[in-house]
Amino acid sequence: SISSSAASEADPEQLQREQQARSVLRENFLRCLVSMTNKKVQFHMHEKVKVEATFGASDIDVLNFQVSDLQTPIGVQKEALIRCQDVISVTFDV
Amino acid sequence: MMQCRWPLLGPLQWIRYTDKQVKLKVGKHEEHRGWMLTVDPVSASVVLVDFSEAGTSVRVVMGHAVEEVEVLQDADAETVQRLRSAFVLPKTPSLDP
Repeated sequence: SISSSAASEADPEQLQREQQARSVLRENFLRCLVSMTNKKVQFHMHEKVKVEATFGASDIDVLNFQVSDLQTPIGVQKEALIRCQDVISVTFDV
Repeated sequence: MMQCRWPLLGPLQWIRYTDKQVKLKVGKHEEHRGWMLTVDPVSASVVLVDFSEAGTSVRVVMGHAVEEVEVLQDADAETVQRLRSAFVLPKTPSLDP
């Protein structure tokens, strides 16, 4: 994962601004994740593979997504964990 | 145009891209346009929002896949408002004492 402070080691004011920005960004991202819950989403994976599933949750580090009814080429997987490293993007409609 | 590696930029750089229409180069061949709503500071994943007559569509691009980010234009007041209200949740009680 990403280092806790990219910009500033010493300057406390800079650190404060950075923390402020971090919290705004993270809150908005979490809101986005919450609104994905129980929605049909499409995962775009490597090699142009696209699979659909119902989004459940993400872990805090965004390393895995928990999904239900994953539509794979060889059948429907009732419950699954998807490694985020294998995903390029996720799309859904609000 | 973003030159250095996207996941290493940090919050103060990422936040400058929010509320902007951007062109995102993803992987080798893909390209996506949309309004940047936010960047997850943990994974550097980008949330792009697209408004059309059919509704609002969202694309979350994983931070590791972002190759290049180019700003196309700033959002006007109306677009900022639509971005703000894209993920409104029911109000939760404050945890402050």
